[in-house]
Amino acid sequence: MTYAGFFFALYLAAHLVTRYTVPFADPYLLPIAGLLTAIGLTEIYRLNPTDAFRQGTWIVVAVALFAATLFLLGRDYRRLETYKYLFGISAIGLLLLPILPLLGLTVNGARLWVHVGSLRFQPGELAKIMLIVFLAGYMREKREVLAQGRLKDWGPLLVIWVLAMLVLLETKDLGGGLLYFGIFLAMLYMATARIAYVAVGLGLFLVGAVGVWKVTPHVQERVTIWLHPWTTNKVYCPISGHFDLRQNCESFQLVKSLYSIGHGGFGGTGLGKGTVANLNGKEIIPDLNTDFIYSALAQELGLIGAAALLLVYMIFVLRGMRIALLAQDGFSKLAAAGLTFGFAFQTFIIVGGILRLIPLTGITLPFVSYGGSSVVANFVLLAGLLLVSNRANREMLR
Amino acid sequence: MIFDSAAVAEVLLVLKIAFLVLLYLFIWRIVRTASRDLRLPQESFVLAPSVAAGVQASRPGPHTGRLVVVKSADLESGEDFQLNSAQLTIGRGNQNDIAIATDEYASARHARFEPRQDGVWVQDLGSTNGTFLNGARLDRPRRLTVGDIIRIGETDLRYEQ
Repeated sequence: MTYAGFFFALYLAAHLVTRYTVPFADPYLLPIAGLLTAIGLTEIYRLNPTDAFRQGTWIVVAVALFAATLFLLGRDYRRLETYKYLFGISAIGLLLLPILPLLGLTVNGARLWVHVGSLRFQPGELAKIMLIVFLAGYMREKREVLAQGRLKDWGPLLVIWVLAMLVLLETKDLGGGLLYFGIFLAMLYMATARIAYVAVGLGLFLVGAVGVWKVTPHVQERVTIWLHPWTTNKVYCPISGHFDLRQNCESFQLVKSLYSIGHGGFGGTGLGKGTVANLNGKEIIPDLNTDFIYSALAQELGLIGAAALLLVYMIFVLRGMRIALLAQDGFSKLAAAGLTFGFAFQTFIIVGGILRLIPLTGITLPFVSYGGSSVVANFVLLAGLLLVSNRANREMLR
Repeated sequence: MIFDSAAVAEVLLVLKIAFLVLLYLFIWRIVRTASRDLRLPQESFVLAPSVAAGVQASRPGPHTGRLVVVKSADLESGEDFQLNSAQLTIGRGNQNDIAIATDEYASARHARFEPRQDGVWVQDLGSTNGTFLNGARLDRPRRLTVGDIIRIGETDLRYEQ
């Protein structure tokens, strides 16, 4: 109850800040973000009240940063374009942080975390937004020459690009790599309107994916889990070192999550009534409140609730793309479209992974998942979209 | 437990349904209001006869204005072209109203300015290098506002009242 009141007050504060700083901004985005965050917080509270408290704290930080972004850039966010190279380099720097020996932390095979004392942070989430700002600025300036395809103009783009990919390979962050690549291709297409680049990019991606699959055992494992999560005979299990059915070993998490979604059926079990723990009170699915929160929600809200959740995401993306269409200048257009596409693609990667449509990679569900860095980054992303739409709508009214 | 467990289950079921209904109501509200701005410009094409008569009487005639040369290889800076009721075409060819023969980046028939009821519109005529309105390439006809800079090849024009 206190959570609900507290959350409502926080949302009201965010709303007032928005009304004050960006009065012409799209009115639907903030309520949608509020709804998603509230659903996420409820589910996290139901799974683990201690985590909910920490998530609540992070949401406060996120809303504070959201307000700060609006206040700082409310007048004219387009001066960010001047610092585009700074953004590109900082993005790489942030991505590199977890590799540093003292700061970095490896969780579940991916080295994505930075920790200071007991505080843990995933810098990649913020790097995503910085990279989008860089790409928007650079492509806006060079879109005509990029469309002509001279190698010289591609230089800086490719350098930052290859660096980002190398960092992701080093940290074994497959979901992140896929996300960045998708954003890059989508923005390139939007800037140049050349479908050929997308075709070449997808071709390169396929070649690269097969290459990585051949050399990296981590990736091979993921693909095997995706294609054959169940086995009828016992196979070698690298986790325990014994022979076991695969559903009891590597694909345990995915298979249990699929059972959990199936258990929800059409109408769901109802919030708080789903089966998430075994008889000993231990959680069945590891990482249920971060990467797998969609499966918990799908169990408790059922098909109808999970579909509603996806509809809410779709509306958010629709509004974002509308903002990009309305924006007057190239930088705003590209930035808004890039941010929206990143948001949409991230949702697709994790939901698709959980539903076994694509190989599963650990990434957060925007606004809903437990995770401080994700919530903070998504609120900053939201602030960016509001800034662009505020400017576009103000120009239209003039 | 004081409560009958069947009653509790019923209450929970009602709450669950209420939650889902609320969730869908939220989506419904947003889609309803958001789709409203899709049809804002033209609520209806059919006017009531009295309204139509009023529109007919008070019709102000097409917008006018002029195009001032800001930068060009061919034309004098400051030279202006009046836009009254007729369309103006611009391009490298001689048949154009504004001919810019030495602009190598312009197409033969490059763009058209058209005064209409609601303002002066500019439209690209399938040129190779495109027509730019305040730096953004035209992908469809656009209405000009005073002070807009239109770039055709290497020629810059400013729209003025």
